[in-house]
Amino acid sequence: MLRNEFEWIPYSGELKALLAMSVRKFLSDVQAVVINEFRVLRRNRTAIVISLVIIPLFFTASLGGASGGAGTRFSATANIPMAFVDNDLTSASGRLYETLASSGDFDSLIQGYREENAVATLGTGRIYAAIIVPTGFQDALANSDATRIVVYVDDSVNGLDNEILSGLRNSLQDFGSDVEVQAVRRTGPSQIEIIQKGVAFSGFAFGLTIILGLVIIFATFYEIAGGMSRESEEGTYARLLLSPTSLGAIMVGKTVYDLILNVIRTFVVVGLAVYAYGARPNTDFGTILTLSLLMALLTIGFGFLISAVGAGVRAVIIIEFFLVLFLFAFSGFIIDRELLTGISSAISYSLPWAYGIEMLRRTLLVGQSLLSLTSQLLFVVVSIAAFYGLSYFLLRLSRERLVI
Amino acid sequence: MPENAITTRGLTKVFGHFTAVDGLNLDVREGELFGLLGPNGAGKTTTVRMLCTLIEPTRGTAIVAGHDLLREPAKVRRQIGVVSEGVMLYKELTIQENLQFLSKLYNLPKRDAENRIRDLLEMFKFEEKAKRPVSALSSGWMKKALISAALLHSPKILFLDEVTSGLDPQSAKALQDFTRDLCNRGVTVVWTTHYMTEPEKICDRIGIVFAGRLIQVGSPNELRSKVSEMSVMEVQTPGLSLQQIERIRTLAEVCNVSYNDPVLLITCVHDVELAERVTKILLSEGARIRSINTKGPTLEEAFIKFTGGEEEIDRFLEKSRAQK
Repeated sequence: MLRNEFEWIPYSGELKALLAMSVRKFLSDVQAVVINEFRVLRRNRTAIVISLVIIPLFFTASLGGASGGAGTRFSATANIPMAFVDNDLTSASGRLYETLASSGDFDSLIQGYREENAVATLGTGRIYAAIIVPTGFQDALANSDATRIVVYVDDSVNGLDNEILSGLRNSLQDFGSDVEVQAVRRTGPSQIEIIQKGVAFSGFAFGLTIILGLVIIFATFYEIAGGMSRESEEGTYARLLLSPTSLGAIMVGKTVYDLILNVIRTFVVVGLAVYAYGARPNTDFGTILTLSLLMALLTIGFGFLISAVGAGVRAVIIIEFFLVLFLFAFSGFIIDRELLTGISSAISYSLPWAYGIEMLRRTLLVGQSLLSLTSQLLFVVVSIAAFYGLSYFLLRLSRERLVI
Repeated sequence: MPENAITTRGLTKVFGHFTAVDGLNLDVREGELFGLLGPNGAGKTTTVRMLCTLIEPTRGTAIVAGHDLLREPAKVRRQIGVVSEGVMLYKELTIQENLQFLSKLYNLPKRDAENRIRDLLEMFKFEEKAKRPVSALSSGWMKKALISAALLHSPKILFLDEVTSGLDPQSAKALQDFTRDLCNRGVTVVWTTHYMTEPEKICDRIGIVFAGRLIQVGSPNELRSKVSEMSVMEVQTPGLSLQQIERIRTLAEVCNVSYNDPVLLITCVHDVELAERVTKILLSEGARIRSINTKGPTLEEAFIKFTGGEEEIDRFLEKSRAQK
């Protein structure tokens, strides 16, 4: 069978046969490693429960519960910093501020800006809109005259003005129909782009991007780096190296095993997020799964790299803690990457997982196609190749350290 | 003349500033049971690890089972089996599952693998223990499991590194007998140990390793005879006459003879054939012989002499511990 697949090679029959034999041996070794990994896992029920059930369920349920669970109203503008410029300074304008601030749509309303400063600050990323209450606002309301609230919006953010205006109109219903809201787009180029906050998405979808990334990274890193370290400490890695199998077959076998586990994990997390917490992803499951597996591959490659430097199981746990902490801080889990500056921004843009998480958000929340995210996809794929290449090289180099 | 199963020339391993093995020149013949004897830290395990491709030599060359260690490590691996402290089995799996996994890596045909696994399990009498996880086995059974794994692919050379440490005397004896039997069937065995009495009993030849160097090689008798030319022969032979005693005294190798019925003590120059000649003479003189026993220097005494005395060994052990 395999011999025929190499018929195109313009060399002698012996070479083709040798190549076919090598490929067959490689695939057979990979299969043996995968089966062996599952046999070891099957004997370790605690590992099955923790890795495939507790970690996905715990993370999904805890974040789902913390964010209010299914059906929570999510405002696209709630966390966007906006200036509230009060030129009237009356009780009516104060009441307007309180109404907006307590509406759930304007949780980051900043007071104290002067109009010209607020407009000038737009485009810097510190605020994304300026709501200007005109002088005579209270008098106009008292006399039932028309009045106009002007909203300056950072025009680089798609869909943001409509979201803000819609939120304002809803909140201003108490102030009578005479209040007119006018949006003024700030012209000029802006480097700032907010993806998830400019688009309406519902339920637990935002949480799903965080959870999926976390669960995959958390479980996969320990499985690979911890597993390799344990094999090294227990002497089974030396047994593998003593057999006529190749390091490549060992790495591919362990990768395939872990990818299968991550397919299961993705099903558990997405299933729970969709059916229990009402997440409505803007993309198909195939895309989510592809991104999950790309993140898993990144983490597996990194896991091999850590095991290649001879880290013990304890060191792996500490590294995992820092890795997750780093990703929390710099991958947009808590603070958007776009809002990070200086060294934080540099770290964020050098973390390949951050690109994976960004792709998850763009596809899962915004509905962008995966293939349209060329630069992020390229960064992740190149990182995977770099991690695997480097770890293969280092594992060969550190062979002695891992078997003594 | 049998070919060498292992040949090393100037094999050296340096870890940082510590030379674990220093210019090893070793010839292990095919089918022999070769012992590497030395204290802990002498370089035995490092030598084995180099020869089984787990670690690369810093300098030197080695041919193992006809293949160059550095150029053809994969071919070497197919021909060797290793039982060593740092080479274990998956403790969560049964011995049978471990062997099944290894048979795939060694590319054994399915039916051959099944037969071989069954034979090994029967040979070591695993019975119901074959279904227990390896972690549940006692140290004796664990050693058997490790040897089964090392023998699975019918290797030409078997490395047994400190294989009896931690075993009870009965298990150690059984293992020694089994190893001797393996050699009789053509397998070359390299047996490393720090127990002085062990290789004396079973090994065809012994290499004494100290401070990373191979300082002596030879059969147990050759090594003993190198350290002392004199030995004492004790013959249990009742009712000897003065004439019979004088007949023994006239032998060229004999220095002194004393007789306290029934024990005849002959102090003589060490000669492996002397016992046979004494026996022939006494029998031709009509004497009855109950037993004959030659007390030469022990291998332990030989080892101490070769390594420069007990003080030198103590100094080495202290240095070795400090370096570790």
